Amino acid sequence: MVVVTLADLRYRYRQFLIAVLGAGLVLAMALLMAGLVGGFSAETGQTVGGVGADRWVLSTGSSGRIAAVGLFPQTEVAVVRHLPGVTRADPIVLLPGEVALVGGKTRTVNVMGVRVGGMGDPAVTAGRPLSGPGQVVVDPRSGAGLGSTVVVGGAPFRVVGQVDDRTLIAGGPMVYMALAEAQSVALEGRPLVTAVVTRGVPGRPLPGYLVLTDAVVEQRTLDSLAPAVSSINNTKILMWVVAGVIIAALLYVSALQRVGDFAVLKALGSSSTALLGSLALQAVLVSLAAAVFGAVISHLMVGLFAQPVAIPSSAYVTLPVVAIVVGLLSSLVALRRATGADPAAAFGG
Amino acid sequence: MSVAALAARDLTVEFSSGGYVVRPLNGFSFSAGDGELVVLLGPSGCGKTTLLSCLAGLLTPTSGSIDFDGTEVTALSGGALSEYRRRTVGVVFQAFNLIPSLTARANVMVPLRLAHVRGSDAGARADTLLEMVGLDERGHHRPDQMSGGQQQRVAIARALVQDPPLVLADEPTAHLDYIQVEGILRLLRSIAAPGRLVVVATHDDRITQLADTVVELAPLLPDSERQPVPVTLVAGQGLFDQGDPSDLVYVVESGQVELFRNRADGTEERLTVAGPGNYFGELGPMLNLPRSASARALTDTVVTGYGTRLFRTLHPSGHSAGA
Repeated sequence: MVVVTLADLRYRYRQFLIAVLGAGLVLAMALLMAGLVGGFSAETGQTVGGVGADRWVLSTGSSGRIAAVGLFPQTEVAVVRHLPGVTRADPIVLLPGEVALVGGKTRTVNVMGVRVGGMGDPAVTAGRPLSGPGQVVVDPRSGAGLGSTVVVGGAPFRVVGQVDDRTLIAGGPMVYMALAEAQSVALEGRPLVTAVVTRGVPGRPLPGYLVLTDAVVEQRTLDSLAPAVSSINNTKILMWVVAGVIIAALLYVSALQRVGDFAVLKALGSSSTALLGSLALQAVLVSLAAAVFGAVISHLMVGLFAQPVAIPSSAYVTLPVVAIVVGLLSSLVALRRATGADPAAAFGG
Repeated sequence: MSVAALAARDLTVEFSSGGYVVRPLNGFSFSAGDGELVVLLGPSGCGKTTLLSCLAGLLTPTSGSIDFDGTEVTALSGGALSEYRRRTVGVVFQAFNLIPSLTARANVMVPLRLAHVRGSDAGARADTLLEMVGLDERGHHRPDQMSGGQQQRVAIARALVQDPPLVLADEPTAHLDYIQVEGILRLLRSIAAPGRLVVVATHDDRITQLADTVVELAPLLPDSERQPVPVTLVAGQGLFDQGDPSDLVYVVESGQVELFRNRADGTEERLTVAGPGNYFGELGPMLNLPRSASARALTDTVVTGYGTRLFRTLHPSGHSAGA
């Protein structure tokens, strides 16, 4: 039956190709959606982890979300620094959703004010690090090139360096500047910060503040995106279903076209189980081909998205498994056509 | 190979079609000896294909039995029946019914591959048979790349691939021109040899010239010159049943006759009631078709049965009640 199955795939290659393309594109969309969700996690991990802190001290009101702008006095930095177990403490002010002018175009960026040379001051991948006033280091997704001028809060800054993969909240590029200038841009120069990052682990709690690891900060920051993640995941499931329906529709039409063949094969000695196996094999092969096509397409499209898309490796492993399951379920649609074929119908002209 | 002998006894096949009970075979019997070419002759709808389906083990008759080579085919079931279909019977279907996606060679190989014969062995057997039917150079062509005659040769090769002692062919010349017909008939004649019985169902009476045995499935036309037959019925008495052979046209002299069809669910559907002066049952004997309805007296009734020719003379424009 394998020979018959493969021959039928070749014989009807156009309609199978259409199904592979259709289902493959849908699977690519599902992979990209997984990548978008993965991107939220990846960008938060890279931006939070890039600070290099052992612990984050955040106001209780922020709920542990670094983008929540839970301001507190900068004087708390000294308090944290003197906690047992802490060898260093640096202030950070994170200002999400700031408007910046980049090359005359308005962009939404996330400004992080850092102590120059301290924790949070990014290790640039191009250009040079922050060294003084009027300078910024940016993620290239901001569209700002080295040496260009970026206007944030009405003040011009020269781009002296770039750091890759530093975005937050669905691809918002990070703009790093000196702490005082960030406070000047958005806080009218008031000495407020949104976090204190430490080397070493504070040996006792600090009333009114949360002391959190990178992992907890990442998770709580991601919690703010939970509705979006949920929506994307639901849509992803829908994509799987659509892919299954496409393959099922193909198989059903194929089974309708092959009713005569099924009757002849039964009359020649084939069992219903063998016919079902033939349909299932076709479904699995089409599903796997669609999965491969979808994987290739999604890989090619990752760079076209403005926000980070990090398709998890597990998705590429899961994809063929899910494709096989989808294929087998799809073949059930055509089951009755195959098993119900009357071998006596082979006599029909 | 053992001597083949085929015997069908009192075969009746009844099924539901369109909600009515249809009986394409009604107490049919015939027998044939080993090596014969048997032609089942009859018009469309007379039950040829139904009979072949029964002989092939693809359809279980409602009653009656089929014996082939000492095996009661109608008693087989499950694996034994599958084995009979696979090993004992080769079938040449009407309209060839080759698998369109497979080459001629692969089509011939299918029964062997389904029987788990190794690919190389099946291929060698297919090559031998394709050479036998004169298509050794067309083995890699698909059905849509071959003529009707060539497809029919492939179908015959496929039917022979298991070297079955019984070969059944359904209307093997139906889709062929006369040149192709000659080749196919010669081939069918040649494979009917000791150790193999060939049964051909056809409405093409040219084939009968080659046959060892001809079996007429449609009854002979009734005697159209038959003299009038008076029939007296008491209320509730049946005159004929749906599916019975048709012989006479009936004219109601007195009383009433109900014409009705037997539905598949066991109920009856009244078609009409024929009264004095009405006639019914004229198409069956004229066209040599079985009765399409049953007739039963509603009251004490007298009818007269006529042969068709005399009926048409006496009733050129009477009042038909149908059936």
